[in-house]
Amino acid sequence: MRRAWLRQILAVIRLEVKKTFFAKRGLWIYLLALMPLALFLAHAASITYQNEARARLATHNQKPLRNQDLASISQGMSREEVIKRLGKPPSAYSWDEPRQDESGPSHVVVHEVYHYTDGESDLHVRLEDGTVTGTELGQSENLGENTVIFAGVFQFFYLRLAIFFGCLGIFMNLFRGELLDKSLHFYFLAPLRRDVLMVAKYLAGLLAATVIFVTSEALQFLALCWSFDPNLLNSYLYHGHGFAHLAAYLGITALACIGYGSLFLAAGLWVRNPILPAAVILIWEALNPFLPSVLQKISVIYYLKSLCPVEIPAAPGTPPLLALLISSPEPIPAPVAILGVILVSIAILVVSSRKVRRMEINYTTE
Amino acid sequence: MSGDITLDNVSKFYGEVLGVNRVNLSIRSGITSLVGPNGAGKTTLMNLLTGLIQPTRGTVRILGYSTEEPEKLFHLVGYSTQFDSFPKGLTGYQFIYLYLKLFGYDSETADNLAWRAIERANLTEAAHRKVAGYSKGMRQRIRLAQSLAHNPRVLILDEPLNGLDPLARAEMIAMFRSLAADGCHVIISSHILHEVDIISDQVILLSNGYVVAEGQIQDVRNEIREQPAQILIRCDHQRQLASKLIESGLAIEVRMHEDSRGLLIKTADADHFYLALNQLVKSGIDVESVIPADDDVNSVYEYLIGTEGAAV
Repeated sequence: MRRAWLRQILAVIRLEVKKTFFAKRGLWIYLLALMPLALFLAHAASITYQNEARARLATHNQKPLRNQDLASISQGMSREEVIKRLGKPPSAYSWDEPRQDESGPSHVVVHEVYHYTDGESDLHVRLEDGTVTGTELGQSENLGENTVIFAGVFQFFYLRLAIFFGCLGIFMNLFRGELLDKSLHFYFLAPLRRDVLMVAKYLAGLLAATVIFVTSEALQFLALCWSFDPNLLNSYLYHGHGFAHLAAYLGITALACIGYGSLFLAAGLWVRNPILPAAVILIWEALNPFLPSVLQKISVIYYLKSLCPVEIPAAPGTPPLLALLISSPEPIPAPVAILGVILVSIAILVVSSRKVRRMEINYTTE
Repeated sequence: MSGDITLDNVSKFYGEVLGVNRVNLSIRSGITSLVGPNGAGKTTLMNLLTGLIQPTRGTVRILGYSTEEPEKLFHLVGYSTQFDSFPKGLTGYQFIYLYLKLFGYDSETADNLAWRAIERANLTEAAHRKVAGYSKGMRQRIRLAQSLAHNPRVLILDEPLNGLDPLARAEMIAMFRSLAADGCHVIISSHILHEVDIISDQVILLSNGYVVAEGQIQDVRNEIREQPAQILIRCDHQRQLASKLIESGLAIEVRMHEDSRGLLIKTADADHFYLALNQLVKSGIDVESVIPADDDVNSVYEYLIGTEGAAV
């Protein structure tokens, strides 16, 4: 019996996967999944360009510079002192500004900006009439900072919006889409238990969602790493938490597909308009931090958030509501969180299977 | 396992709208036609038989199986619906092959069964073309092929001859007859009454969600006592016979047939009429043939339901 079910499940997956991956109406899901990848690729390309420009500029330094040299320049220094410490600037520009004094005649102020680099950091020195009026020492991209940005994009865009709406598009269409296409009856006229059909469709949706979102997440991580120095990267990946973080992100993505997938499959069985359940679930998930702890547990984001490997610090001055939103919930052990998502999903699927068993084909009302 | 299809006090309501009401049927093997005007409940009854909809009341059993056991039922049942829609992007062959894979068949068996069904439907040449590009008749045939690909014992066909050309219709009718002769239950819905007449072993007449008559068409006709039976008598001395029939009080109405080669008689008691006719014939009138003129589906339909919705 189980062997027959397995064959039937594989047959359904074969039919469904083609539809899910190549449906024109699913194109926006790819765009949603690839949006952060485009962001990280653009960021990586920009960093690479800046690094190359900086390296080119550094070759024009009169003498080798270190970060301490750049940091030693301060307000009030003269042009000569700056040049004595750092040499002639490899890049500079100036302009004149006629200025009218309150008591005396007008005169011309000479503004200059010197740009130095040690190959990693940039120093911009502003001078007025040969005196330093300000400095700006910009550090090159920092991997630690970037991993926090990556975590932010993952938690607040990818997890809560991209995967959420992607799963809505994939899983709500498993039954609802076929009702609209008037082709669900072909499944219902096969010697296939309705609950087995539901599981098969869910697995097909899960396969599509996981492939799309996990692949995008892996590529985003690759894009994040692309612009960094290989030595730094090596130590982050092999001696730091790099690979552990990657595994965590991929695992959370897959778990999100499991959780949201079951929710939207169920929603597609009960509700005709996808906007309503999407809005309700989105609000429920967003309100999660404000809910009593018992209710917090009846959500997907509660478990996923506690599995996220990088905590996002709230910047000083963040409004209390926003701070609460980005705060991590009471930490739950990873096995409990993973099991939580899986159990919530199984419970939803069990309830849905009852609905599928009583489902009727009545295309005229769709 | 029971050998019949039974509906026990089955009703189906869509909210407050009646689909079918208090249907009690026992359908034997052979070709059974569901006849009735649009909205009579034919498709509802077929959908109930296949579990696509659930009865509000009552039970449906197909060869002993409940419609709530699709995993058992659809090894025995094939249903060609009226829905003219298909899964997107599939060729005719893929449509049937992948459907058969849902049965759990291995690839080779599914392939063999798919080709056999395609050949039966005369679609071999078009098998690798996308179903979306098929004509209406081809789509009808591929649906038929799919419904009988797994060799079901019960074949339920909703308007199966719609869109088919005369040759294809004749082929399909021959196939239904052959399946019925092999002991299958073939249930067909149609509003083309002369076709129903040719095909059916028994008919079920539906009107406004109620079964108004069921059984062999002659039996049904005999049950309609308020309508006098019409009998066509081919004979040589029509006038003489006509006057004798009127004198005897056996005929309510006697008319010359349109072709002037016989009499069309209306009688309230057909059995008595046939016995008496034997006596009249002995008096020297040469009767060529005596044929019941209104025991076809068309007449029964007209008596019970009226002419509305009937296509002859």
